[in-house]
Amino acid sequence: MSLNETTPLEDFINFKADTNMQCGNYSIDIEKPKEGEQYRFHFGATACVGCHCCEVACNEQNNNPADIKWRRVGETQSGIFPKVTNHFNSMSCNHCIDPECLKGCPTNSYIKFDNGIVFHDDDTCIGCQYCTWNCPYEVPVFNEDRGIVTKCHMCHDKLDVGQTPACVQACPAGAIAIEIVNVKDWVEKDMAIQGIAPHLPDIEITKPTTRYTINEEENTQKVTPADAHIIKANHSEWPLVFMTILTQISVGGFATLVLGEFINFLGFNLASPNIWMMIAVFIPAAIGLPLSALHLGRPGLAYTAMKNIKTSWLSREALALGIYAGGLTLLIAIFYFEFNQVFKLLVELGVLTTGIYGIYAQSMIYRIKARPSWNKKETTKIFFYVSYIGVLLITLILAINEQYTTAGVVLPFALFFGYFQYEEFTKQRNFYKNLNKDDNNFYQLNKTKILYEDNFSKYNDYRERSLSIGALALPLLAMLLLASGSYSSSILVLGLSIVISFSSEVVSRLLFYKTAVALGLAGNFFAGNQRG
Amino acid sequence: MLEKIKNFNLKDFLGLDIKNDKYSLVDDKVFGKVAKQKAPDKWVRSTCGYCGVGCGLYIGVKDGKPTYTKGDPAHPVNKGTLCPKGLSEHEMVQSPNRYTQPMIRKNGQLVQTSWEDAFKTTSDKFKDIQTKHGNRAVAVVSTGQLLTEEFYTLGKFVQLGLKTNNYDGNTTLCMSSAVMGYKQTFGSDGPVGCYEDFSYADTIMLIGANIADNHPILKLHIAKNKKITGKKPKIIVIDPRFSKTAKMADIFVPIKPRSDLALMNGLAYIILEQGWENEKFINERTTGFKEFRKHIMANYTPQEVAITTGIEVKDLYELARIYAKSPAAMSAWTMGVNQSSIGTDTVSAICNLALITGNLGRKGATALSITGQCNAMGTRETGFTSSIPGYRNYASSYDREEYATIVNVPVEDVPKQRGYSYPQIIDAIEAGEIKALWLVATNPLVSYPDQKKLRRALNKLELLVVQDAFKSETAFKADVVFSASTWSEKEGTYTNSERRCNRARKAVEPLGETKSDFDIVLEFSKYFEGVSERLFPNWTKPIDAFNEWKKVSAGRLCDYTGMTYELIEELGGVQWPCNTANPKGTARLYTQGMPCPTPDGKAKLLALDWLPMSEPQNSSFPLILNTGRTVEQWHTRTKTKTISILNDLAPEAWIEINPEDAKKLEVASGDRLDISSIRGRIKDIVVKESQNVREGNIFVPFHYNEQLINTITKAEFDPKSFEPNYKQCAVQLHSIKVPDGIKFVEEEIAGEIEHIVIKNEIVYNNKLSNPSKIPNT
Repeated sequence: MSLNETTPLEDFINFKADTNMQCGNYSIDIEKPKEGEQYRFHFGATACVGCHCCEVACNEQNNNPADIKWRRVGETQSGIFPKVTNHFNSMSCNHCIDPECLKGCPTNSYIKFDNGIVFHDDDTCIGCQYCTWNCPYEVPVFNEDRGIVTKCHMCHDKLDVGQTPACVQACPAGAIAIEIVNVKDWVEKDMAIQGIAPHLPDIEITKPTTRYTINEEENTQKVTPADAHIIKANHSEWPLVFMTILTQISVGGFATLVLGEFINFLGFNLASPNIWMMIAVFIPAAIGLPLSALHLGRPGLAYTAMKNIKTSWLSREALALGIYAGGLTLLIAIFYFEFNQVFKLLVELGVLTTGIYGIYAQSMIYRIKARPSWNKKETTKIFFYVSYIGVLLITLILAINEQYTTAGVVLPFALFFGYFQYEEFTKQRNFYKNLNKDDNNFYQLNKTKILYEDNFSKYNDYRERSLSIGALALPLLAMLLLASGSYSSSILVLGLSIVISFSSEVVSRLLFYKTAVALGLAGNFFAGNQRG
Repeated sequence: MLEKIKNFNLKDFLGLDIKNDKYSLVDDKVFGKVAKQKAPDKWVRSTCGYCGVGCGLYIGVKDGKPTYTKGDPAHPVNKGTLCPKGLSEHEMVQSPNRYTQPMIRKNGQLVQTSWEDAFKTTSDKFKDIQTKHGNRAVAVVSTGQLLTEEFYTLGKFVQLGLKTNNYDGNTTLCMSSAVMGYKQTFGSDGPVGCYEDFSYADTIMLIGANIADNHPILKLHIAKNKKITGKKPKIIVIDPRFSKTAKMADIFVPIKPRSDLALMNGLAYIILEQGWENEKFINERTTGFKEFRKHIMANYTPQEVAITTGIEVKDLYELARIYAKSPAAMSAWTMGVNQSSIGTDTVSAICNLALITGNLGRKGATALSITGQCNAMGTRETGFTSSIPGYRNYASSYDREEYATIVNVPVEDVPKQRGYSYPQIIDAIEAGEIKALWLVATNPLVSYPDQKKLRRALNKLELLVVQDAFKSETAFKADVVFSASTWSEKEGTYTNSERRCNRARKAVEPLGETKSDFDIVLEFSKYFEGVSERLFPNWTKPIDAFNEWKKVSAGRLCDYTGMTYELIEELGGVQWPCNTANPKGTARLYTQGMPCPTPDGKAKLLALDWLPMSEPQNSSFPLILNTGRTVEQWHTRTKTKTISILNDLAPEAWIEINPEDAKKLEVASGDRLDISSIRGRIKDIVVKESQNVREGNIFVPFHYNEQLINTITKAEFDPKSFEPNYKQCAVQLHSIKVPDGIKFVEEEIAGEIEHIVIKNEIVYNNKLSNPSKIPNT
């Protein structure tokens, strides 16, 4: 009477449930994609009833804990009772033709297989989570237990041997299926019609391959996501807060130093930079860069982040700032051994160029379509304007070195950049105040607005006050004190100005991260978008 | 970051271990690739223990613990699929929410004890109470969760051993209206159709049935329809709420709450008026047509029905046309129909409609009641609650004698009438008539309506025994807890909504010192002199109960005589009746050649009346509350609240409210509200603005003890089935900004409704504690 003797089913993998659908079967009949073709998901939005079987089946298959979901079911609603449409969208990975995760990955851990599956190579991943920012569908998910990002791979190893992916097998409505698509036809014709579903990001960002069966009118209706009321602050990213600000200060200070060297080289009677200044600009970079490794899931592998110079701004940043920091070290030696000025200047110019490029690359990391609040040129500007603190730092050292005249010349540069930074702050405040309802990303930007104006209003107030005091009022006072010969007070005021400005930038950068609201799948009423 | 620094671990820091092994897959010879960490060393074929759909599955067992549940692709019910609860069912078995040992109350505290102590204390107290107050002072309320063998054993012990007929199940809270409705119409309980009908019907009419949330796997059979019939079936969803199921609908019928009966009668009017009825079928297979016709034509004109139901006349005609003109039309219903004070009659009204159009006993043509619990059917068949086992009638001396002979007991031992129903038991406890209550796998402290009244009653008990696998809210109140084993730890059979008897196997040893409900009853019976020997001679395993049950069921509608455990497994479940005439079971009841179990073999067309709600919207309570379920949770959450993949999606109750009403209360999604009825107030429930409910109606799921909606539901019961009217009661909402709630606007009625004679008035107002005046059920 034991099970294995009585059951007529010895091998389920080959047993076909007679549903005439892929669901229910543990084996799948599907050919291998030919040249120019790839696998893709089909999702029958008209068939799905939002039962979440696929989510659970996926986690069961892949042994993922409950909070790591490769597949999620998003809910939106449109219409007025009784003419209501509840849209359920079960989505894992869209195995895009132009995947942003792959392009941004600094370690080349994403591979687009010949069969089209976007595969994540776990072993080389360092857990930088940049892909979780880049994917407009929030598909990759960081697994803290492993220190790496993981994602749906369409059960590729099952497909390879003719077994049905877990979600497809599980769906009682037959709403999920695997198909083969001709990539060219899809991109040129069908994607614009069959690739769209309510609340999803612009298909042009990554060219997703998932085909939707959906009532056409549903794509024209205004929908309310079930998690529209959930306004959740993003991660704080403390290591990145400090890393970005400190490197920006360093480059700003270094630029001032190089400018001083250049002016001195031209023969103006101003103090030439000294080793203390070099050390002063080196320290922030030396603290900031290693700190950034702490945000990785695998900090020990930070050095591998430079593998993808070709397409990843993160790799470019890592490489440029790495060279920059090395350059600073070299320059400290050059200062110590008092090399000749031309040579020094040439090296300085080279290091400065990589530094500036590094900060530019750093800002480009954030200029991604998946995060509308970051994706603007202002991001690059505010990153560069932080340099005013670097200028203040150099001014302070000049003052301490009793180079008051030079300090008086440098200080206005700090004021310039400080003023620009303040202007950016007001611009941003007004942008959210008058947020345009017709903005393509109004839904996300409006949540950012609420975070700024309600959830973090105190932080925002502090940012405004500290910026006007630290970047404007105190440097002005310092200038006055320098001009009037109250040197020790001016040193005090400069020091205070740096401290306050720095705290102001920290708060601002923290808000920058915390208020980012990503594009993506609609969420659930309680669970939100199911992303941490 | 601070966390990371605090818990510094060099191996993690360097990222040397990404736990590839833990997340890798291995090849399983039965199911292909499975997670290595959970890879079972054996698969045990069984049946899901959650709902009444009855899905076949395999339990993966690793190191003596369940680690997987996989749908059985050969099983006709689910074809390899499982719902989210089924897929994660293995997690429930090792839940921290389970009892591992019997418990007993000492000095006010529940403490662990031995089985002997638990049994001895309970049996002594039972005997003491029965000596002082009579046998009926001990009452038992069971469940739809046990195995059929266990139900049969428990019922036999309670009625013939404890000799109390105050025995009912929580199935009265969900299925009894379907039971009584079927009895009224066809002469016996027994769902007439099967799931296959979903795949063959041209029209599927779902009435008060939110299958997307509650029975997702039924969607599989609807999904197959197009492939089989070559065209999409017309799906009609009748519900006051735009549930997940409404998404499937071609036609969504947003009826006013609890007006289904009027709608069915109204559709019957149009069908008869238009001559769309199936005259041949009516003549050959039904009785009572004349009276039925007269009643319908006199009372249910489309104009009046339009006012009662809120559905426009032209839509009524369209609905009637679609239903009547379909070669095969199927209606299916669940709690929206059953949980009503006119539930029984609504069930019969649905059957009426099927009968006049000849939609019975053919592929795709049926009227199917979908059951709630995994074995609500088992408790119905093996009886003792509404009938003597095998759908035998208490009132029939022949039935009593037949049963007494088969099980070899004196006929006087067999009760002559049903004892108190579940609600009557609660009333009788409050009246001091019942002193001891034994609850089996049910949790009234969450599920029973009007909690204040219930708790007042339970406080009067001298002894409360709770037999449960889980730490239910009710168990915390118990004097003695019999810690039971649960699904996968015991064996037997479950019967699903389509009368399919499925085999559930034991896959793992019972947790801790828990015992199967079968063993509990058997061992407990030994504490009553002579009972065990008399009722359970040489019984050791569930199959002993099964074999006796087969004999008892012989010749009855629920005939098991042709079944064996082996046959059940071979066929993927067997639908009763299964006997020499139907050796592989019977897909549909009352097919051409199969008479109804009525004296003349015909189904009865019944003249039934819609009655208005007893607690309509009013100035103090201007909203109608509808309660129900969500796919992620199971009943009172004893099984699902510790399974985070389910619970995280629905961790607390919510109030679904139309945005217009939200505006009036100055709240939005995510805000919190209080809700009150004349019976009480529940605080702090989160608002979910949704167009799924109309203005003036709200929905709250009932699963949650933390926001206990049954505090405010009404203890009003169907006079025939005793099923509570959970789905409608008048309530008010209170927000911080609008503490007094919504203002009541009287509905404008265009014309006066000619009133329907309320024939059931006397019964309707009868006090439940007086069962003798209630029609024998």
